[in-house]
Amino acid sequence: MTEGHPTRDAAAVMPGGEPAGPPRTYGSIVWGQLKKRPSAMVSLGFIVLVALAAMLAPLVGGEVPIRWVEDGEVSWPIVRYLTNAEYVAMAAFLLGAGLPLTIRLVRPGAERVGASPVLRALAIHAVILALVAGLLFGLRDPERSYGFYLERADEAEAAWFPLIAYPKNPGFSELPHKEQPPSWLGWLVPDAYPEPSWDHPLGTGRIGDDVLIRLLYGARTALTIGFVAVGISLAIGVLLGAVSGYCGGWVDLVLMRLAEIVMSIPRLILIIIMITVIPERWIPAIWTVVLVLGVTGWTGTYRLMRAELLRIRGEDYMTAARALGVRTGRLLVRHAVPNGLAPILVGATFRIAGAIFLEVTLAFLGLVQTASWGTMLNDGRQHLEYWWLWATSGSAIFLTVFAYNLLGEGIRDAIDPRLRI
Amino acid sequence: MRTYILKRLLLMVPTMIGITLLTYAIVRLAPGDPVGAMIRMQAGDVNPRVFEREADRIRERLGLKDYNLWGEDPDRIDAAEKLLNAFYGYGRWVWHMAHGDFGESMQHRTTEGSKDPFDLYVERAHVTIILQLIAEALIFLIAIPVGLMGARYRGRLFDRGSTVVLLGLWSIPQVLAGTLLLNLLARGGMGLEWFPYAGLHRAGAEAMGWGQWLLDTFWHATLPVLCLVYGGLAYLAKLGRASLLENLRADYVRTARSKGLPERRVVYHHALRNSLLPMITVMVMMLPTLLGGSVIVERIFTIPGMGNLFVGAAMQRDLAVIMFGTLVYGTLTLLSLLLADILYAWADPRIRYD
Repeated sequence: MTEGHPTRDAAAVMPGGEPAGPPRTYGSIVWGQLKKRPSAMVSLGFIVLVALAAMLAPLVGGEVPIRWVEDGEVSWPIVRYLTNAEYVAMAAFLLGAGLPLTIRLVRPGAERVGASPVLRALAIHAVILALVAGLLFGLRDPERSYGFYLERADEAEAAWFPLIAYPKNPGFSELPHKEQPPSWLGWLVPDAYPEPSWDHPLGTGRIGDDVLIRLLYGARTALTIGFVAVGISLAIGVLLGAVSGYCGGWVDLVLMRLAEIVMSIPRLILIIIMITVIPERWIPAIWTVVLVLGVTGWTGTYRLMRAELLRIRGEDYMTAARALGVRTGRLLVRHAVPNGLAPILVGATFRIAGAIFLEVTLAFLGLVQTASWGTMLNDGRQHLEYWWLWATSGSAIFLTVFAYNLLGEGIRDAIDPRLRI
Repeated sequence: MRTYILKRLLLMVPTMIGITLLTYAIVRLAPGDPVGAMIRMQAGDVNPRVFEREADRIRERLGLKDYNLWGEDPDRIDAAEKLLNAFYGYGRWVWHMAHGDFGESMQHRTTEGSKDPFDLYVERAHVTIILQLIAEALIFLIAIPVGLMGARYRGRLFDRGSTVVLLGLWSIPQVLAGTLLLNLLARGGMGLEWFPYAGLHRAGAEAMGWGQWLLDTFWHATLPVLCLVYGGLAYLAKLGRASLLENLRADYVRTARSKGLPERRVVYHHALRNSLLPMITVMVMMLPTLLGGSVIVERIFTIPGMGNLFVGAAMQRDLAVIMFGTLVYGTLTLLSLLLADILYAWADPRIRYD
């Protein structure tokens, strides 16, 4: 499948594409393998694209103009209207994209003291992100009032509206527009679909809401559920697994029982009970789902990490590191965790896909009211004749889950050492 | 080995206590008055005295009467007392359960009185078991050959194609697939009414001969089983493929080949046997999904199964039914974990648990 030429193989390394100078880390080997798999890279690209679209949803569709000129005065309303969380998400995105650059910058300094440049860069970016988030939430108050920009569009000398200039929640005044098919279909089949335009590229829903806008805001829910829930569970699983495998003894026994308990409580039932028990005004249902998934989803990671530590605890390099007086915490972070991380990553991508499906199930049971793909699909399911309602959300779910699955499959192949022989 | 099994079985006791206690505490300590809500939902606005009598009867039966957690005035008792009461209630539940009394359902009540959770589950068990058994058998029968071919022709068109197709199938949301199948093939959305759209048996199925009954059941089960099967294929096929690849590289396969055995015999006789084990283990681990794995399918195709019962109970906080379901689910999970470990040791003498 991938019997690459050995010399070329050795040259394919870091994200930056520079030739392998320092010793190749496990991460760089896996990344090099992953880059050779088109399906995995296309999936990764698709996921990044969805994340970008979800983040920039207010620019794609909505009622707040980007630029607004009135009485010769130029203003940028969107800047005031974007929420703090949206700015933090953008900062996280930019920091993530800039990670390879920072790694390259800190490399010389890190190698002089024998630290990992990747970890160091990650730490720097985490601090920056925390600072940005703290400043935003501490100092900034986003504009909440309804600006009536759409209604006053005639009064402006110039206005740049989002691509789909349409209220996010149109309300009942828009009822005549309800359940319109994609507006450009008139060009293809003039008889069946009148008035071709680009107003609603994916049609409108039951209360005249634009399907594309709803899809973009649903993407936020899907991504949040996936990333946050799996992130929490990864952190718990890696931590407990490392402790359990490293300490052994009664700590291991107790943690193992705890994992068994968590594994044996039916997750769907637990989430349903939690949603019905916790009032929506305390914690919105979707965050309850995220929390329960995060707090209960760590068992797989835990078992993997524990097994990995049991394996490497006796390895020579660990003994050597210990003999050199390396502290336990550093030993775990630098040597144990990175080695077990790749298989955990495979599990994580599949679990993100699973979390998206879980949201669909909960929406199907009528337990989620947030704008999400699940609720869209459930709405559309009841009126199959409005095919654009279920077809769009269904394909969004399908494509995203498919991308995660392909990516997971790609990483799994990439970490398989037998394929590199 | 026997000591090991005994030790694991003994360790199951504290784990089961942890599972049930946690579930019990979550359901009990939550605010609200599920008993009252349930009676109001079922009977509408009844005479307040009748209402109080019935609510009291159920609270009494569930051990909620004197230790009022789901009462009308939740602020009357403080948190510590609440916690203590929950523990007391849990002890009471364990005690009654040990005597074969699982409490009674608030939700499923007839004029003759409430139903025992045990009976509720047993009534629905055969439906779920039939569906899941057919589905799992089909998954196994399809996934093994696909995984096998994928390993033999690794990297070729069949391998890559089947991987993508199976991953794609896995990514289709069950809600969408179920609804589309139901509406296109059963409800006559395109003029086709090939399959029935509700239930697992035709009315009057009890009077049929067994052959006819079986045929009728299969006909009813086709679409639901299809929904249950398509998503599970990818995982098992990939597992089978990886496992067979591992074995095809093993020394004993090289020996078998160098002896001059025909390739067919090497693959089917030597390697395949050894690679079946992880797949069987996975099938064992799927056991607990019997209880909640087919909620969507059961709801879409209106099949009265255990998954729907369990989920419905969770949505209405039907304490006795939730607790019984948790008990069964937990036991099945722990047993399947143990069974998987035993199977490994039994098939591979290198693994020893001491």
